[in-house]
Amino acid sequence: MTARANRLDRAIDLIPWLLAALFGGVAIHLVAVLALPDLAPGSAYRKLALKTPVGQVALLPRAAPGAPGPTFADPFAALALCRFDLTKGPMRLRARADGDRPFSVSVRLADGVIIFSANDRQTPKGRFNILLMTQAQADAQDLARDNADTDQDASPAEEGELRLISPGKAGFALFRALSLREGDYEAAATGRSSVECAAETTPP
Amino acid sequence: MSAALTAALALGFVATIFSLQGDPGFGAVRLGPWTSWPRLGGLDMDPYARAAVAIDGSLPLGAGEGMAFVANADATGAALDSRCDYQVAGAALPARFWTLSAYDIDGRLRPNPAGRYGLTSASLLRAADGAFSIVAAREARPGNWLPLGGKSRFVLVLRAYAASSGAIGDAYEGLVLPAITRGDCS
Repeated sequence: MTARANRLDRAIDLIPWLLAALFGGVAIHLVAVLALPDLAPGSAYRKLALKTPVGQVALLPRAAPGAPGPTFADPFAALALCRFDLTKGPMRLRARADGDRPFSVSVRLADGVIIFSANDRQTPKGRFNILLMTQAQADAQDLARDNADTDQDASPAEEGELRLISPGKAGFALFRALSLREGDYEAAATGRSSVECAAETTPP
Repeated sequence: MSAALTAALALGFVATIFSLQGDPGFGAVRLGPWTSWPRLGGLDMDPYARAAVAIDGSLPLGAGEGMAFVANADATGAALDSRCDYQVAGAALPARFWTLSAYDIDGRLRPNPAGRYGLTSASLLRAADGAFSIVAAREARPGNWLPLGGKSRFVLVLRAYAASSGAIGDAYEGLVLPAITRGDCS
């Protein structure tokens, strides 16, 4: 009887230990899942975008066996990207579709979230003109435009401009030019020459 | 107390690894052998999907770009194996353009003697009604041939670009994707 009571006492003593381990494990799990998008070394942002200076366009190699690049990449897609950092001001992204080949643009934050995506059939004449900025920069631009009569530095919106408010300051824009068939890839890849990505020269 | 901390660390990391296996997050839509994750990459992407995308280094399609459908099994539920031939047959899809490619289970293209790694909707031979039939096989086939490499499991990815938002996107009802039927195995 005494031995059984001792075992029961030891089991009861273990309960706080087990609860601590369980709740601690859940907490560590949640923190790890939430931190992974920003810390994972293999993320597209870390592997591809961080190698590219802000404001420069990088042409990614075609997906092929053994080729570096994102997983599950479409071998018919010619990709270009440019990294942005809105800390110092807005960025302007320009591109246009080449002929009948499908062309699309997506704007992605460092944690992988896509804040904007569109294809060339959703824009006038297949042209993209995106002014990417933070909410604070947009507010400053609006204020400057409201005072345009007295503020000579206020820049009007360009024709066909899409002003995109980014909830994050760092990320990259991905441009996707599709080849229609096997022998068409080089022509599609050449179409990436229309991609421009630069800090806005007349910040609001 | 240090034993509890060690156990918590082990439990937390094991749970994290286990939770990121398989589907990337929640919200999968299954259409026959094909699975799509419409919210992958979107602002409403759940934390598990964000973590999975970060780990595998992929660039999921944005909603305005198109939709991707992944198949790792045939119509009977048997895993796709490049030692077998498969017929991928269907009708025209409600997309401007689509591509079909085969990958290993880690998402990498496999070498094959033909040096071709996919097919597009623009290059297919079709019937008068738009129906098509593709043979995925290691050996060359007449007609629409998708070369397979290796001798193990593989994954098919169908990407519908600039898809009609009425048929693909929020509403999947009525969407019929190609059937995948296994043929001979070597």
